[in-house]
Amino acid sequence: MRPQREYHIVVLGAGGVGKSCLTAQFVQNVWIESYDPTIEDSYRKQIEVDGRQCILEILDTAGTEQFSEELYMKQGQGFLLVFSITSMSSLNELSELREQIIRIKDDEKVPIVIVGNKSDLEEDRAVPRARAFGLSQTWGNAPYYETSARRRANVNEVFVDLCRQIIRKDLQGPSGGVDTTRKRDGPSRGDRKRDKGSGGRRRSPCVIL
Amino acid sequence: MKPNIPPLNIAKSNHNPSIPATSPHQAILQPARSRFYSDTIGESEMTPPMTPQTATQSEQPMEPVEVPRPVFHNYLRAFYPFHPAGDVSPSTITLPLDQGDIILVHSVHTNGWADGTLLDSGNRGWLPTNYCEAYDQIPMRPLLKALTDFWDIIRGGCGSSLKDFGNQDLMRGPIAGVRFLLEKSECLTREAPLVKQYDGLRRIRKALLSDLSSLVKTAKRFQDVANGVPSEEEVEAILDEMLLKAFKIVTRGVRFLDVWNEEVGLGRTIAEMETAGAQSDLPPTPLSATFSTTPSASTSDTQPERNESRQTNHSRTAFSRASARTETVEPHRPMSVATKRISISHRVSYSGPSSSAHAQNLASERLVVSYDAFLSVLGSFIGLHMQSRSSTELVTTTQQAVESCRSLLAVVEAICEHDSPRTMLLQEAREAMCEKLSELVHAARDVFRPAHIHDDDLVFMPDEGKRLVDAATDCVRAAGNCLAKSRLVLEHIGDIELNSLEEQSSTTQAVTSIINPEAPSCTKAAKERPQDLSLRLPPTPLSIPISTFSPSTPGLTDSTTPSSLQSHLNSTNSPAHPLASSTLPDSASVSTHADQASSFSSYNSNFRESHPISDVSESFGRGVTSTGSSFTYHSHMRDSEMSGLSRTSTRATSPDIGSSFHGSYKVHSLKESISHSTLAEESEEAEAHLLEKTFAHELVYKDRQVMGGSLRALIEKLTAHQSTPDATFVSTFYLTFRLFTTPLKFAQGLAERFEYIGDTPHAAGPVRLRVYNIFKGWLESHWRHDRDDSALDFITSFAKNRLSADLPTAGRRLYELAEKVAAVHGPLVPRLVSSMGKTNTAIGQYIHPDTPLPPPILGKKETNLLRQWKNGEATLSILDFDPLELARQLTIKESRIFCSILPEELLDTEWTRKSGSLAVNVRAMATLSTDLTHLVTDSIVYLEEPKKRAATIKHWVKIANKCLELNNYDSLMAIICSLNSSTISRLRRTWDNVSQKTKIILEHLRSVVDISRNYTVLRQRLQNHVPPCLPFVGTYLTDLTFVDHGNQSLRSLPTGDGEMTVINFDKHMKTARIISELQRFQIPYRLTEVPELQAWMQNEFVRVRSNGESPNQVFYRRSLVLEPRETCRSGGNLHAQSQASAGQNTLTSSSSQPTHHEEPSQAVSILENAREKLDFLSWTNPSKKPVASNG
Repeated sequence: MRPQREYHIVVLGAGGVGKSCLTAQFVQNVWIESYDPTIEDSYRKQIEVDGRQCILEILDTAGTEQFSEELYMKQGQGFLLVFSITSMSSLNELSELREQIIRIKDDEKVPIVIVGNKSDLEEDRAVPRARAFGLSQTWGNAPYYETSARRRANVNEVFVDLCRQIIRKDLQGPSGGVDTTRKRDGPSRGDRKRDKGSGGRRRSPCVIL
Repeated sequence: MKPNIPPLNIAKSNHNPSIPATSPHQAILQPARSRFYSDTIGESEMTPPMTPQTATQSEQPMEPVEVPRPVFHNYLRAFYPFHPAGDVSPSTITLPLDQGDIILVHSVHTNGWADGTLLDSGNRGWLPTNYCEAYDQIPMRPLLKALTDFWDIIRGGCGSSLKDFGNQDLMRGPIAGVRFLLEKSECLTREAPLVKQYDGLRRIRKALLSDLSSLVKTAKRFQDVANGVPSEEEVEAILDEMLLKAFKIVTRGVRFLDVWNEEVGLGRTIAEMETAGAQSDLPPTPLSATFSTTPSASTSDTQPERNESRQTNHSRTAFSRASARTETVEPHRPMSVATKRISISHRVSYSGPSSSAHAQNLASERLVVSYDAFLSVLGSFIGLHMQSRSSTELVTTTQQAVESCRSLLAVVEAICEHDSPRTMLLQEAREAMCEKLSELVHAARDVFRPAHIHDDDLVFMPDEGKRLVDAATDCVRAAGNCLAKSRLVLEHIGDIELNSLEEQSSTTQAVTSIINPEAPSCTKAAKERPQDLSLRLPPTPLSIPISTFSPSTPGLTDSTTPSSLQSHLNSTNSPAHPLASSTLPDSASVSTHADQASSFSSYNSNFRESHPISDVSESFGRGVTSTGSSFTYHSHMRDSEMSGLSRTSTRATSPDIGSSFHGSYKVHSLKESISHSTLAEESEEAEAHLLEKTFAHELVYKDRQVMGGSLRALIEKLTAHQSTPDATFVSTFYLTFRLFTTPLKFAQGLAERFEYIGDTPHAAGPVRLRVYNIFKGWLESHWRHDRDDSALDFITSFAKNRLSADLPTAGRRLYELAEKVAAVHGPLVPRLVSSMGKTNTAIGQYIHPDTPLPPPILGKKETNLLRQWKNGEATLSILDFDPLELARQLTIKESRIFCSILPEELLDTEWTRKSGSLAVNVRAMATLSTDLTHLVTDSIVYLEEPKKRAATIKHWVKIANKCLELNNYDSLMAIICSLNSSTISRLRRTWDNVSQKTKIILEHLRSVVDISRNYTVLRQRLQNHVPPCLPFVGTYLTDLTFVDHGNQSLRSLPTGDGEMTVINFDKHMKTARIISELQRFQIPYRLTEVPELQAWMQNEFVRVRSNGESPNQVFYRRSLVLEPRETCRSGGNLHAQSQASAGQNTLTSSSSQPTHHEEPSQAVSILENAREKLDFLSWTNPSKKPVASNG
């Protein structure tokens, strides 16, 4: 096993949900007083997940929401689907993005974390938590976090959680035979889903400020 | 005039070949010298206090109670003369001091010796801090700070880059400093009562102004020289000259303040004390207060000595007005610390490169080194334990972590010891770090323990892993905290040098105290340390105690070695020498000294030629400039029975100096004073400079770039008169000011600038014109009706009333312009396609206008087809046209939109606004790009036969390739986007029919637009392109978004009294830079448009767009219909899993569900086949790691 692994994480979401803030906050260290996004390492960051060094390359196409996004999805191994808790429509847009992801990755179990950003604007909340949890459940218990990029709350957590999912998936890869058998086996789907669900719940609880 | 300032060049000669040569000598001569030294040591009780005033005084018993808290002072003032003995080798540079001399301190050694530059001469060398006291008078502070900055810029930078800063900003510091001084002393104008009343003040004020004006002139000359093609020497010479002049200004300023205190301050204080009896906050504070709080940068063990001597000095001599003037610094520390922050580090790094050995012992260096070591161990520690599960390794790394942490703690402790009262916070931080470290050790133990129990699952122990990570993170945080606190302390006390290990320092001290418990360890240490450094021995802990005195000798005796360039390496004074020289000034011995010093050759020549005339020059120079002032000071000094040899201020007028070495020593600075001070008109000019009101101090610079500033400071910069404003700055301002201010406030700021520059008559004209021009440029080319109209009324009235009063023509023009703007919509003088991008880049390849455009590749057949299509008689497909021609027409179409993108569309993520976005062109680009993607998909998925689809794919690949040839990355991206989409890429039977050749081309195209590593490939290509070129707009939009969201709008600026928040102009500069990058390519292609083809393409786009809300879903369904999902048992690890289709349920109608299965055997073979293709097509992952889902 190599000491460092590189993972591609794609940050998706409607325009204006603050996903670029999320990425910028995550990628840059707090003490950087001048952030230049045009250099090669602008979106790379080394983190530790469970003591394991990982390099995350964040693909965040913020600002290009009008362009087709499938191009970026193809490379992603994990996806942050970001909406703003102040905008219901931004939540609704996630469904199509997820469908696109699953389509292009051809994998329903692709690592996803749902992120409700702008948790600092609680007074403007338009998306009830229950609603987001509901979405999380229909998506195979994809972890749901509420973050505030502005206050730097839960920012690292979402990336770490996603990275953990990717690693887990990665490790299952070599022994994927078993898994695949289960995949093909209709009834066991539920089991797996339960497994994952409980796993997800234990390791990645929804963290609310 | 060739500047005579050899010592200033010391730093540049750090690779002086003579250094290695010195070492053997030193080694050989060691024994002899050591004997000499032990002799010296016998006499070395002649410590500084053994001056005439040394007689022990017991009347100050309270003195040691309050231990002065060391603060790093940038400036010291000598209060004893210090003259090394004549036989001191030239390789050892000590700085002879006269009383009253001002020294710029670069670093202070723990032993109390400081590396400093004497402002009077520009000479640099070691000097004993216990001969000096801190000089930090409030009225002088800005000027002193300006000099520190000045020094840091000139000496801190590397030679070549200095050519770049030929601007007048550098001059603002000294000017503002002098202004502040004069303001505080109520002598700002010539008409000030004090100036009129006291002749001495008037004269020295005038001299000060002429010094200033001389500096400004030199700076201007520098600008001229720098604009040409100056030789290195030329630049260096002028810089040296500037530095010397700056020194002189400070010296003069100090003298001015001395005189002022004599004449004015004292009287006031007395008056005040008589009336109120209270302590005044005017500079001349009561003497006792001054002494008890005078901070010192030397080690604490020398403290009592020093203080005693001072007390003595104080009590014996009624003098002390000079030292009394050094007011209490304590209350003002926050301010001085704030201003010192930058300069300390600068000077540390300055001396760093000259001597690595030296640098290693600086506390700050050691701190950083050990901190880095600790962090790296921590990092590897965590990484290691997670992948290798051996407990032994973990133990080893844990030990490493503990060890490296200890070495960090050792440094921290050393700093603590150095200055215990100040280090409360640091101690706390250190304790916290110890705690975290032990937690880390515990966590590590807990983690590897379970490893024995169930080895494979170690990675999945989230709790233990988390604990370890947390512990490590805490360690990192604690270490960071420690580092920060240590730095803070270092900033307060100045950098210190550490012995390589703690025991080392204690041993040294022990040795010191054994040999001579009474002797000031400062002087002794001075011998030990620098010698030790020059021998490059510091890392070995024991070498120092052993070689306490012996190694120091060779450098001293070896008068033939010209190695003196490394002045700060060789300090070298026996304690006896200063005294000997001060009591017995011996110019003969000094001149031999100078003769031998090859590095001093220029100084030497100066010395010789000026020596004979020094009397004359002095009486001339001082006679004109400062006689009156120094006279009083002088007489006062006389009264105080101080040695007549050692006075800065009086030196010039005291008749007995001329013959002495010390008099001639300063001659070159005096010469300058002759040449400049006598010119009255120059002081007029300087006076004008002074009176200039400025907000320049509210700007933040970094690498000569304005990083931030208050609005008024930015406006001042915008309308600077000395230099033409930087084009980038101006265009950035025009482009982005609405993001940090309102148009009205901008206009008001300009009007205010117009107003206050009136105080500065010589600059008022140019600046007011510039204000007018900024208004004009704004109205003509940068006016945005949607935002700026609110300022129009103000501008109109400003033009009519204020501007017309001073500049009637300009006023009238601006008024007319404002009228026009009010009437017209759209810019009056439209910018060309772009304004910014073109100013800073060479415009693409020059093509002669007569060069014919390439003819369209359009045969008769195509023309006919197009005509038929127009009449509705035929349907066309892309296959009917040549790929190059299609690529050209696409390029023309896109380029037209691209070239009309306005910069304001790109600001403040305007293009992402849900409604009412002004970014019409950006959005049109996006739409076109998406349309093209859809068109590609559409043209493929509506063909029933795989072969036809493959042919179309091939054609699109060709078109994309031609787009690449045309540098049309936007279209290229759009086409690749479609071919990569799941809709197309999943059509395996289609791809089977695509030739290998096409696939190779496609693969290349994909690598060009690869997003990974932040579009490295694409960015590099763009960098080298000359227009015409159509970059992928998406990268700019993403960059702009991240600059906007990743940078704060405001930044803080440390000021004298805390911090102020200013505009983060850097953010806007970044924005503007990206926009200008885009604008660089806004040059139309030279291609022939084929209107018929354009019409057909447009029609196609419109048709595709009308496909509905989410065409992707439509296309995908269509794709499923064409080549249904393959469900087969063997394809488990391919991507035809059943649950995938289940996932589609929400999206795909049941009708499109896979219904017509192929024969199983056939399916398998197709699958195998497809797998190959898929592997080929799958996006190359840079990490070359199989994606988990692919198995």
